[in-house]
Amino acid sequence: MPVDRTTAIDAQASDWLIRQRDPTFADWDAFADWLSEDPAHGDAYDALASLDADLDALPPAEQTRVAWGAEPVRRRTPSRRAWFGGAVAAALVGALGLSSFGLFGGPNAVETAPGEHRTIALADGSRIEINGASRLLFDDDRPRFARLERGEAMFHVVHKDAAPFVVEAGSAQFVDLGTAFNVVRGAGRTAVAVSEGIVAYNPKGANIRMTAGQGLEARDGDREAPKVQTIDPASIGGWRSGLLVYNGAPLALVAEDLKRTAGIDVQVAPTASDIAFRGALIVDPDRARTVADLAALSGTRAERQGAAWVLTR
Amino acid sequence: MTQATDRNDAASGIEGVLLANRDRILRFLVLRGAGDAAEDLFQDLWMRLTEKRTGPIADPLAYAMRAANNLMLDRYRASRQRELRDKAWGEAAAVQKPSAEAALISREQLALVEQAIAETGERPARIFRRFRVDGVLQRDIATEMGLSLSTVEADLRKVYAALAAVRRQFDAG
Repeated sequence: MPVDRTTAIDAQASDWLIRQRDPTFADWDAFADWLSEDPAHGDAYDALASLDADLDALPPAEQTRVAWGAEPVRRRTPSRRAWFGGAVAAALVGALGLSSFGLFGGPNAVETAPGEHRTIALADGSRIEINGASRLLFDDDRPRFARLERGEAMFHVVHKDAAPFVVEAGSAQFVDLGTAFNVVRGAGRTAVAVSEGIVAYNPKGANIRMTAGQGLEARDGDREAPKVQTIDPASIGGWRSGLLVYNGAPLALVAEDLKRTAGIDVQVAPTASDIAFRGALIVDPDRARTVADLAALSGTRAERQGAAWVLTR
Repeated sequence: MTQATDRNDAASGIEGVLLANRDRILRFLVLRGAGDAAEDLFQDLWMRLTEKRTGPIADPLAYAMRAANNLMLDRYRASRQRELRDKAWGEAAAVQKPSAEAALISREQLALVEQAIAETGERPARIFRRFRVDGVLQRDIATEMGLSLSTVEADLRKVYAALAAVRRQFDAG
């Protein structure tokens, strides 16, 4: 098994151990589900829990204070601000002129116009591909953090055990556990699809883990935890290559994607809004053709109105 | 099914919960590696939980599941103990009975574990000791040390990641 995979499994096993130490822990069914996902999960858990059990032999904290003091003095790292400021500065090089941001104070935003795609490289080697009509915020103080205000982005994250990469969108939080994943933030909803590795959704709340080929959609204000869906990994982040694949998506959502990805303005008439779209759309440089494909595949009619198209039943 | 009626409420409560959740607990035992022994282990669990007279339990199902989890960990440890003993046919090893209580790691290994914990940094190491050795809840550690809960959580993860790494080294070595 690759090292990344075992590390990720170990991290999950640790999380369960940590959570279970709380006497009020009651989420045994979720733990059972996790065990059922992969026999390696139980193996990792048993091994770690067993080591953990042996740590009863460690002396309590109070008695060891002196011993900790005897530790060699650690080299001081540069101040937080200098360090992180540097990280973000490096992050934005090649993306946009630095003058457009207040690098030292307040969040830094990267914004794209409809149809405009942009890739930014972070200092740690991670890469973020941003779709059009999107806005992404970075924080000076948190080099392993991004907030997707709106739109869509594909994250290729270099995993660090000690500093997981966190993506926020709406009220959702996604934490990478070694990963590539796509996040969409639309009106009142946040969707994620994982193409590699593992992503945790709201680890402090619902704590749902998704592996490659899984995703979920969270609606703002939903009380219940979203359900994990199966997604063809090949279709994830399809906007980057101009191939949009749908399996029963509302036409309004397809229109949203077209606007973002290609700057095509498609409006869906109320009569057609409940049509579920199934199929693959190729974003053609000839926009009329893309829209014609959409109309044909969804059983609607497309009418040109100025710069926009209107889909009717 | 006949039920003993002279038990106190807590005992009959746990029996009721065990009966009502039999399938769920069996599934859990199987997932925890019980295999064909799941039924026997369920009986074992039944005995353990109903013999002990305990006070009222806030969440009897969670209590039973935790007991099932501990039971499986004990079994895992006993079987690891046997493996280790079979590997090392030394005199000292031969007199040891496999048991869940006996430590599975040597003193040298424990020292390596301590070192690995220390290497995560002073604060994570301290948080870990408060959490794991002193049994303080995360939110109490946060209050005590003036940190956010998420910092405490992150530090604990860091230490456990180090433990897992050391653990894999032990396995490989």
